[in-house]
Amino acid sequence: MTDVSQSSHSSEPSGIKPQLRILRSLLTAELAAGIGGLKLFMGCVAIATFMIVGVWILGNGLAKSLTEGGTTFLGGDLAVSVVNVPLEPTLVGDLRALGDVAVVSELRSSARMGDQRVTVEIKGVDQAYPLYGVVKLQSGRPLADALAPQGGMASVVVEPEFLRRVQGSVGDTLRLGEQDFVVTDALLLEPDRLSAGRFMVGPRLLLNQQDLQNAGLIQRGSIVDFRYRIKTPDGQPLAASLAQLKTLQADRGWEIETPEDAGDRVRRTVERTTTFLGMAGIVALAIGLAGAWAAAKAWISRRARTIALYRLSGAGPGLVCALHAVIIGFASLGGIIGGVIAAVASVLPVKKIIASQLHLAWDITVIYAPLASAWWIVVIGVTGTSVLVLGTLRNIRPGAAMRDGEVTLSTDGPSAVAGLVLVFAAMIGATLSLPIPFIAGVSVAGICLTAGLLAAVAAGLARLGASLRSKGFVSLVVHKGLTDTASVAVRAVAIGIGIAGITAITSAQTSLETALRSELPDRIPDLVLIDVQPDQTAPIRQRIESDKSLGGLQADPFMRATITAINGVPAADALIRENKSWVIEGDRSFSWSAEPTGAELLAGSWWPADYSGPSLVSPEEDLYEAFDLKPGDTITYSVLGRLFTSEVANIRKEYHRTFRPEYLMVASPIPFKDAPQSWVMSLQGDTNEAVDQLIRDLASDHGNVTSIDIRRLAAQVLQTIDGAIGASLLVALTLMIAGGLSIASVTLAEVDARHREALVFALVGASRSEIALARLVEASAIGLIAAVVGGGAGILGGYFAATEALHIAWSPGTIALILPLVLGLLAAMPAALAGGLGALPRGRGQMARHLSN
Amino acid sequence: MPEQTDHLEPAVHLQKAKLSYPAPDGEIEILRGLDLTIHAGEIVAVMGPSGSGKSSLIALIGGLEVATGGGVHVLGQDLTVASEAQRTHMRRRDVGIVFQSYHLVPAMTALENAALPILLSGAEDASAEASRLLKRVGLGHRLRHRPSALSGGEQQRVAIARAFAGRPRLILADEPTGNLDQSTGRDVSKIMFDLVKEDGSAMLLVTHDPALAATCTRVIEISDGVIAAAAGQK
Repeated sequence: MTDVSQSSHSSEPSGIKPQLRILRSLLTAELAAGIGGLKLFMGCVAIATFMIVGVWILGNGLAKSLTEGGTTFLGGDLAVSVVNVPLEPTLVGDLRALGDVAVVSELRSSARMGDQRVTVEIKGVDQAYPLYGVVKLQSGRPLADALAPQGGMASVVVEPEFLRRVQGSVGDTLRLGEQDFVVTDALLLEPDRLSAGRFMVGPRLLLNQQDLQNAGLIQRGSIVDFRYRIKTPDGQPLAASLAQLKTLQADRGWEIETPEDAGDRVRRTVERTTTFLGMAGIVALAIGLAGAWAAAKAWISRRARTIALYRLSGAGPGLVCALHAVIIGFASLGGIIGGVIAAVASVLPVKKIIASQLHLAWDITVIYAPLASAWWIVVIGVTGTSVLVLGTLRNIRPGAAMRDGEVTLSTDGPSAVAGLVLVFAAMIGATLSLPIPFIAGVSVAGICLTAGLLAAVAAGLARLGASLRSKGFVSLVVHKGLTDTASVAVRAVAIGIGIAGITAITSAQTSLETALRSELPDRIPDLVLIDVQPDQTAPIRQRIESDKSLGGLQADPFMRATITAINGVPAADALIRENKSWVIEGDRSFSWSAEPTGAELLAGSWWPADYSGPSLVSPEEDLYEAFDLKPGDTITYSVLGRLFTSEVANIRKEYHRTFRPEYLMVASPIPFKDAPQSWVMSLQGDTNEAVDQLIRDLASDHGNVTSIDIRRLAAQVLQTIDGAIGASLLVALTLMIAGGLSIASVTLAEVDARHREALVFALVGASRSEIALARLVEASAIGLIAAVVGGGAGILGGYFAATEALHIAWSPGTIALILPLVLGLLAAMPAALAGGLGALPRGRGQMARHLSN
Repeated sequence: MPEQTDHLEPAVHLQKAKLSYPAPDGEIEILRGLDLTIHAGEIVAVMGPSGSGKSSLIALIGGLEVATGGGVHVLGQDLTVASEAQRTHMRRRDVGIVFQSYHLVPAMTALENAALPILLSGAEDASAEASRLLKRVGLGHRLRHRPSALSGGEQQRVAIARAFAGRPRLILADEPTGNLDQSTGRDVSKIMFDLVKEDGSAMLLVTHDPALAATCTRVIEISDGVIAAAAGQK
C-alpha cells in the first residue's frame, strides 16, 4: 500500500490564516463531541495539581509567613531575656540608648473566677507594647484602652478559652494573686505569641506591668521571664545594634534574640513538615504526570484512525498536532482549575485554624505567591507531559494506520527531549521552592533514579524474555507481551513510580505515627504543682500521702540557670556540637538534691547525702554532649542573678518527655538550699475525683500554688497527635488516589493496545479465560518488577524522609514490605482483567462489528 | 482427510436463522430467516451489497454471534444452545476464519501467528505444522518476519495458513482478497481453494468478485438478510 502521508501535504492550504480557519473548524467539531475521552487525563492532572497547590499554599505559605514575620514574633528588632530577677535599671537605661524599649514579663499562675480556678499564662506589658504588630481584641479597640483602669479596678484581657472554661464573660471579675481584675476584652491575636518559646499550659492573660507587680505574684525565686524588646532607629543596621548590645552583656548572662531566632522552633517544625509535605507533593506530581501521560497516550491511540483520516484528508502533521495540543490544553486547564479549586477549598480552612493557633496575622494575600509558583510548576509539568504525548502524532502515518488498524506510538526525538526537559524543570522548580531544597532535591533525584532503574530492569527482563523459548498458547502470548522492551519499560515505570512514592510516604507516615505515639510515656503524672514555697512542701506532701488514691510524688526545688563558661572558657567558645547550642541560649532548668535523682549515671558518682564541700553539679546528657564534659570539669553559671562555678561530679542519662520536670543541671545542696526558690511537685492519681479534690484543697489552703492539670494537657497532646496522624494519612490516601488514577490510565492504555490482539485470539479459538490468564501472568511479571524495584526505592525514600526530613526514628512496620506487593498486584489485576476478560467485546453484534473494522 | 460421515451430515445447516443487533432506535434485523446448507467439500460463495448481512453470516456460523431466532447447526453442534466455551472450542478445533483485514498479532512472527490454533489445541508439533503451511502458501522464506515487515498479500497468506492450521473442517472467509491487487488476489484464492480440496473441508467465501465467485461450487446472493438468489451446483 502507498503511504499517502507525504503526498497529503500538497493538498493542505498554505498560509497561517487558512490554517487557523481549518483548525477552528476542526476544533469546533471536536469540542462539540466533548473531551470525555480525556477524563482520566484530567483526573491525573487534577490530583497532581491538588497536592502541589495544597502543599504549597499551606506549607510554603506558613513557612513564608514565619520567615517574614520575625520582627513581629520577636516583638522588636532585638530582644534580651532573663529569668527570675529583672535587669538592673542602669542596664535597662543602656538598652534604651539603643532604641525604644518595651518590657514584658511572663509567668504561669492560677486565676480564679467565682469558684473556678484556671492555670493561666500571664503576660505583663508596658505602654510601649507592642513595638511591632497589632494586638487584636474582640471589641476592636486599642490594647491601651482595654488595659486602662475601669471604675478604680485594674483591667485584664483574656483569651476566649479562659472565659469558656470559667463560663464567664467580658465585664466579670477575676482574682489574680492578691488583686481583683475586671475582664475588659477578649484577646484574639497576640502578635508576639511565638516568642513565648515554651509550651502554653493555659490561656493567656494580658495586663499592665504595674498591675502585675501589685498582684504580688512576682517574688524572689518566682519563675518569671523578663523580656526587653528593642526597636532600633530607622536606618540603623541591625548588625551594628547587635554588636553594641553584646558589649552590654550582664555578667549573670542573658539571652539575646534576633528576628531570625523568633519562633525558631515552630519555624523549624513548619519547615520540616513543609518539606515532608513537599516531597509528597512532588511524588504526587510524578505519579500524576505519569498517569496523565499514559491516559493521554491511550486517548491518542484510540484516535489513531481519526488522526489518520485527518492526514488522509490533507491535514499536515503541524495542523494535527495543533488540534490535539489545543484539545489537551483544554483538558489540562480543566484538570488544573479543578485541582486548584479543590486544594484552595480544602486547605484554606486548615490554614486559618493553624494561623489562629500560632497567632499569625492571617491575610489571604499570603497564598498568592505560593499559589502562583504551584500553578507554574503544574503548568510546566503538564506541558512537558503533553509534549511527550503530542510527539507521537508525527509517527501516525495515514497509510500505516489505515492498513493495520492500529499504530505503535513512539515519541519523536526532539519532542522527547523537550518534554523531559519541561518535566524536569517542573520537578526542579518544585524542589527549589521548598524550604529545605536539599531534602526535596534528593527526593527528585530518587524519583529519577527509580524511574531509570525501573526502565533498566524491565528492559532487561524483556531481553531475557526474548531469549527464552515458549511452549503453548499462554506462554507464547506472555513471551510476546514481555519482549516489547519499550512497552514493558514504560508500564514498569508508570506503575513503579507510584509504588515507590506511595511506599516512601506511607512508611515515613508509619514512622511518624510511631514516633508521635511514643511521645507519651506509659504513665505520666496527672498533676504538676508549681510555685510551691519551701515551707509548703511538708504540709502538701502530708496531704498527698494521706490519700491512698494519690501517689508517685516527686518534689524538687526548681530554679533557672544560665551557663556562662566551661572550664573558664566562655560557653559559646567552648561549645563543641552546634546542634546542642540551645543549652547556652537563655536560662535552663536547674535544681539541687542531696540524694540521687534515680536517673542512670553515665559517668562519675553521686555526692554523699551529707556532702558540704564546694558545690558539685550533675549535668544531663545534653550538656555533656554540648561540651564533651567529664567529671572534674567546671561549669560557671548564673542562678538568681549570681554567678557560681561548680565541678562536674557525674553525667546523668536523659529521659525525654516524661511530663515530669527534667533538670539540665542538678547541684549539691550547698549553697542553693537556703536560696529563695520555689518547688515543683508532680503526682499521679488513681481516680479523677482524688485529683480534683486535691486541686480544690490546694486552692483553699495554698492559694499561691498553681496546679497544672496534666490530664487536660495530655488530652490536648493526644488530640494534636491524632490530628497529625490523620493529616499524614490523608496525604498517603491522596497519593493512593493518584496511584489509582495512574494505574487506571495504564490499564486503559493496556485495554486499547490489547483489544485487537484479543479479537485475533478469539478468532482462532482462545477463550476469554485463556486470554486473561496470559495477560495476568504478563501484567504480574511487570507488577512484580514495579513492586520490587519501586518498593525497594520507596523504602529507601521513606528512610530518608523519616531520618533526614522529619528527624524521627525509622520504623516503617510490615506495611512497607507488604504494600508494594499489594500495589503491584492491584496494578496487575485490573490490567489483566481489562486486557484479558474485558478486551473482547460483549453484547450482540459487537464481535462482528469489531472484526469488520 | 475428514471422515466420510461429513458427507452425510452437513457442515453448516441454517434454518430460518435470524440475527439482529440492538441499536438506539430499536433492534436492527441483519438476517431475517436465512436458510443455508453447506456440505463438506463444498465451496459456497456469498455475494450481496454492503450491509446485506454477509459478514454477520460469517460471525453467526463461526460462533462469534448467537442467532436471535431459527436454527444454526455447525459441524453437528446446535449453536443456538451452545455455551460460549463450546463455541470457542468448536472454533479452535474445526473452524478457520480469514478476514479482509488479516487480523494478525503484530508482536508475533509469521510462524507464531500461523501456529496459534495448533498451540491452542495443545498439539506438540505446532511449529512444524505451521512451517509446512507457510511453505505451502509460499512464505517459507518469511517465517521469522513480523506482519509489519510483510506486504498485504503476504499478510493475507499468513492469515490463510493460520486458518488452515490444524486442518479445520470449515473455513469461513470474509472478502479475503478485498485488500489485494488482482494478481495477488488470484494467487491467494488459488491457495485457499487448493487447501480446501486437499483437506476436504467446506468453505463459505464472502466476496464481491463475480469472477472469484464463479469458481466456487455454488453462489448465493444475500439481500436484505435473506437469500435472494442461488446459482449452480458444479
